Amino acid sequence: MFDFILSKYNYWIYVILMMIGFYAMIGKRNLIKKVIGMNIFQTAIILFFVSTAAKRGGTLPIIEHGHGHGAHAIQATAYINPLPHVLMLTAIVVMVSTLGVALAVLIAIYRRHNTLEEDEILRQQQK
Amino acid sequence: MISQSPVLVVVIPLIFSFLNLLFGWWKKGFCYPITLVALSLSFLASLHTLNTVITSGTIHYYLGGWNPPWGIEYVVDHLNAFVLVIVSFIALLVAIYSKKSVEKELPEKIVYLYCLFLLQVTGFLGIVVTGDMFNLYVFLEIASLAGYALIATGEDGAPFASFNYVIFGTIGACFYLLGVGYLYIVTGSLNIADLSQILPDLYNSKVVLVAFAFFLVGVSIKMALFPLHVWLPDAYTYAPSAVSALLAPLMTKVGAYVMIRIMFTVFKPYFSIELIPVTSILGWMAAGAILFGAILALAQTDLKRMLAYILVSEVGYITLGIGLANRNGLTGAILHILNDAFMMLALFLVVGAIMYRSGNREIPQLRYLHRKMPFTMAVFVIAALSVIGIPPTCGFFSKWYLILGAIDAGKWVFVAVLLVSSLLNVILFFRCIESAYLEPVAEHASGGSELVIAREESPLTMLIPILIAGAGIMSFGVLSGKIISTIIQFAIPIGF
Amino acid sequence: MRILALITVIITGIILIYGTVDMPDWGDPNSPASKHVSPGYIEEALEKTATPNIVTAVLADYRSYDTLGETAVIFTAGIACILILRRRRRQRK
Repeated sequence: MFDFILSKYNYWIYVILMMIGFYAMIGKRNLIKKVIGMNIFQTAIILFFVSTAAKRGGTLPIIEHGHGHGAHAIQATAYINPLPHVLMLTAIVVMVSTLGVALAVLIAIYRRHNTLEEDEILRQQQK
Repeated sequence: MISQSPVLVVVIPLIFSFLNLLFGWWKKGFCYPITLVALSLSFLASLHTLNTVITSGTIHYYLGGWNPPWGIEYVVDHLNAFVLVIVSFIALLVAIYSKKSVEKELPEKIVYLYCLFLLQVTGFLGIVVTGDMFNLYVFLEIASLAGYALIATGEDGAPFASFNYVIFGTIGACFYLLGVGYLYIVTGSLNIADLSQILPDLYNSKVVLVAFAFFLVGVSIKMALFPLHVWLPDAYTYAPSAVSALLAPLMTKVGAYVMIRIMFTVFKPYFSIELIPVTSILGWMAAGAILFGAILALAQTDLKRMLAYILVSEVGYITLGIGLANRNGLTGAILHILNDAFMMLALFLVVGAIMYRSGNREIPQLRYLHRKMPFTMAVFVIAALSVIGIPPTCGFFSKWYLILGAIDAGKWVFVAVLLVSSLLNVILFFRCIESAYLEPVAEHASGGSELVIAREESPLTMLIPILIAGAGIMSFGVLSGKIISTIIQFAIPIGF
Repeated sequence: MRILALITVIITGIILIYGTVDMPDWGDPNSPASKHVSPGYIEEALEKTATPNIVTAVLADYRSYDTLGETAVIFTAGIACILILRRRRRQRK
C-alpha cells in the first residue's frame, strides 16, 4: 500500500492542482479569477506531462560525449524521455497565447461594462 | 508540387495570412483579393486531394520525411478528404461574401480581421487533415484563438460572450490534452494509426477508459453538444455576420469529424459500442439536443439567436447518427456534415444580408422582405425547407438515413424525436416566412393604394455566395445517391 | 451554482485519480512511454540530426511541424490582441 502511494502520489498532486484551477474557472464569479484558474489548470497539465518523462537513473536528454563516439554507445535508459518536454514547450506557448487573448478580451469587457464581476455584467445585459 | 497537395491545403492559408499583414499595412484594399486567392488555391488543393483519394486510396504524407511514430504524418482517407473539401469551399464562399459586411461592420480592422480569418481556416484544415494527436491539439488551438478574437469584435455583448467561449473552449482543449497525456503514458505514441494498433491490448486499462471519457467531453464542448452548448448561442449571435457565417457551419462540423475519428479510428468501433455503452449515452444526449435546441429556438424573437439554437439542434442530428453506430446512421451523420454545413451557411449568410440592408433582425420586422430581396429570401426558404426535411432538398436525405439507422437499431424513440423535431422546425420557419412573405391585411384595406417598396437586393458579392449555397442545397439533394456511392460509403470507418 | 461547480470538480478529480491507478509507477524506466517511441529519438537523434540536445532535435526536426504550428499560435494571439484592443479612430476625435 505504501509503495502504491509512493509510486503514484505525484500524479495525484497534479490532479489536485488541476481541480483547484478547474474550480476557479467554473465556480468563481470574478473574471480575473477565472483567468487565473485557467492558468493554474494549464500549468498543472504541463507538470503532469513533464513528470511522465522522468526515469529513475536518467539524466537530461543532452548527449554529452558528442560526436565521434558512435551511436551504439548511447543507452536509452540513461536519458529521460525527451518527447513530453518537446510537447510541453509547444503547450507552454499555446498557454501563454491563450492567456494573452483572454486578458485582451477582459480589457474589451472592461471598456464596455466598466466592471469585471460576472453578476454585474449579467445585470447590465438584462436591462 | 502536386503530390504535396495535402500539406498545401493547410500551408497556403497560413502563408497568405502573413502576406495579408504585410500588404495590408501598405494598402488595405489588398487584403480581400489576397484572402480570395489563398482560399481558392487551398480549395483547388483540397479538390486534388479528394480526387487522389478517390482514384488511388488513402494518402500518407510524412512531414519532413520522418517515419510515422517518430515524425508527424498526414493521413487522408475518404472521410478526411470529404470534410476538407467542405471546409475549404465554405471558407471560400464566406470570404467572397465578407467584403461588404466587413466594410460596414468593422471598417478599421479589415487587415487584422482577414489575417485571423485565414488563420481560422488554417486551424480547421489542420485539424481535419492530420494523423497525429498532438498536432491536432496545436491546430485546434489556432482555430480556437482566432475564433475567440473574431467573436469578440462583434456587437455590445460580444466580448463577454467571447470570454465565456474562452473559458469553455480552454476547458475543452485542456480535457483533450489530458486525454492525449493519459494515452501517451500507457502507449508511448501520439500517432493515430499507431495508437489504434497498440490500444486493443489495453482496452481494460482504467487509464484508457478515462482518456476516452476526457476526449469525448472535450470534443463535445468544442462541437457544442447539449448540455455543453451554453457558450454557443451568445457567441454566434453577437459575432459579426461574416464571422458567424464562417464559424457556425464549420466549428461544429470539424468537432463532429474529430469525434468520429476518435471513437471509430483511434479506438476500434467495438470498444465504443460494446465495451462501454458510450454510443447509447451519446444517442440520448443527441435526442436531448435536438428537442432542446428546437424548443428554445421557438422562444427566440431574434432571427440570428434562433439560428444559433437550430445549430444546437443540428449538432444533435450528427451526434445521433454517431450514437446509432450502424451503417445507415453513420451514412446519415457524414452526409449531414455536408448538408448541415450548407444549410447553416445559407441561413447565416441570409441573416447577414438582411442585417446589412436593414440593420435589423427581429423576426416581426421582416415584413416586405420578399419584395425587397426576392433572391435572398428565396434561398432562405430553400434552406428552411431543407432544415425541415422536404424531399428535393438535401436535408431530407440525411434525415432519411438517420431514420433508417434508428429503425435498424430498433430505437423507435429516436424515430419519434426526429419526426417531432421536423414538426417543430416547420413551426419555427413558418413564423419567419409568414412575417416575411405575407403582407399585413389591414394596410391593404385602409391604404387603398398599393404600397410601393423599392427593390433592395443584397449587393452582388453577397448575393453570389448566397445563391451558390442555395444551389448547393438543391443539388446535393439530387446528387446525394452519387455522393454516398463515390465517397461516403468508403468514408464509414472500418468495422461497420 | 457554487455547489454545482464543486460537485463537477470533485467528480472530475475522482475520475482522473481513478485513471492513475493503472498508470506505470512514476520514474519507471520500463514504462511504455519510455519504451515505445522515445528510445528511437535518444539513440538516433545524434546520428540523424547531428544535434546533441535531443529535445532540440525533436522540437526542430522530428516534430518541427508542431513548432510551425506553435509559431502560428503566437502569431494568431498577437493579431488577436491587436484586433480586440484597437480602438476605432472616430472615437478618438
